[in-house]
Amino acid sequence: MRFSERLKRDFSTTTLTLIPLAIVLNLVLGQTISLLKLPIFLDSIGSVLVAILSGPWAAAVTGLLTNLIGGVINPFFPAFAPVAIVVGLVAGFCAKVGWFRAWWKVTLTGLLLGLTAALVATPIRVLVFGGVTGSGSSFFIAYLLATGSAMVQSVFAVTVLTNVLDKVITALIAWVIVLRLSRRYISRFPRAENVLALENAPTNEEVVR
Amino acid sequence: MVDYGWATGIFLGVLLPWSAWLGVLRPVLQRVVWVIAPLALFLIPIHSFFHPGTTVLLTIGHFTLTQEGLAYAYLILSRLAVLASALLAFSLSTTPAELATTLTQQGVSPAFTYLLISPFQLIPEVRTKAATILAAQQARGMETAGNLWQRSRALVPLVVPLVLGALVDVEERAMALEARAFRAQGYKTSLVQIPDSVAQRWFRWGLFGFTVAFVGWSQWQFFTSRI
Repeated sequence: MRFSERLKRDFSTTTLTLIPLAIVLNLVLGQTISLLKLPIFLDSIGSVLVAILSGPWAAAVTGLLTNLIGGVINPFFPAFAPVAIVVGLVAGFCAKVGWFRAWWKVTLTGLLLGLTAALVATPIRVLVFGGVTGSGSSFFIAYLLATGSAMVQSVFAVTVLTNVLDKVITALIAWVIVLRLSRRYISRFPRAENVLALENAPTNEEVVR
Repeated sequence: MVDYGWATGIFLGVLLPWSAWLGVLRPVLQRVVWVIAPLALFLIPIHSFFHPGTTVLLTIGHFTLTQEGLAYAYLILSRLAVLASALLAFSLSTTPAELATTLTQQGVSPAFTYLLISPFQLIPEVRTKAATILAAQQARGMETAGNLWQRSRALVPLVVPLVLGALVDVEERAMALEARAFRAQGYKTSLVQIPDSVAQRWFRWGLFGFTVAFVGWSQWQFFTSRI
């Protein structure tokens, strides 16, 4: 299939209605779970869902728009748009090669997502924000600097730790959610084969039971 | 020499007057302070003590506060003030509906404008749903306090119903859009017309040209200073 045709299929009307909801989930879930005071942000679960159901390009658009729209809430959010785009792309390609079909593969996807997110986020944090983002993790960065580490290494170490944990949990929750969707529902999306093709994939009835 | 004056100059000389002209000076200033202050709290000590520098201003124990570090922290903060105030002035003075209409008039695809606009309408809806789910799960005895393990067990019952509920809406919305000929080709008229003068058009192209020239110039300065 040619790339332009692929894009046309990916951005179906169903995808176009899924993306805004995914954007809102990206933006709202973090606030919802903030009362649990867990060291995760869960700000890409919508992008990962789009990646599974509608492919990497739709997920990249979801990530980009999440951070642009989030700019209304926090003006520094758009600076991290490249991270959100890469997370969408990587999740989409992982889904394409079948990495959303078993819990351990999903964990691997999460690890990969965390690593690539940290790789993209570190230069932005260092160059634009001087290595500081005003959250609790800045204390760890200060500690690492005080013990003699360089700025880039300190920021990368902290970003990798927080991102890997966050993305593994994000990927696992997204996978659990997709398992609970009915086959009929998933088949309306352009990349349904990402999760449906496998014969021994649990049917909806089995998951409910 | 790094451009210490540029960011401060643009912030004070361009962005603040522009916000005032748009009538959003107060909220812009408030929110710039609100987002910059927590960063400054970390940036200033971290860079004044750990940035490589030779001009020592103060020594506390093992740590030395250098002038170069303080200057670097100021540079980052002033740049962030430019970034924040420009975005805030734009977002506080433009409604999503105006933005959507303008983009469509400029020839941006209606599908893209839909993606940009509908989240604004959905956010309050999903927030209300989230509050309802939280209340319902707490009524069923879900723990939101306690140790890390107890708190993380609340994650799935909070997140999964919210996402599943939102996903169920997708089908309905897709059908509603199809029923309104969302994908139809052909000319569509708009109820609201945003006026766009020739002068404004030229001004936009001028700004674009200025940005390209400025980035090119600063890159050239950067690379020639390294040689």
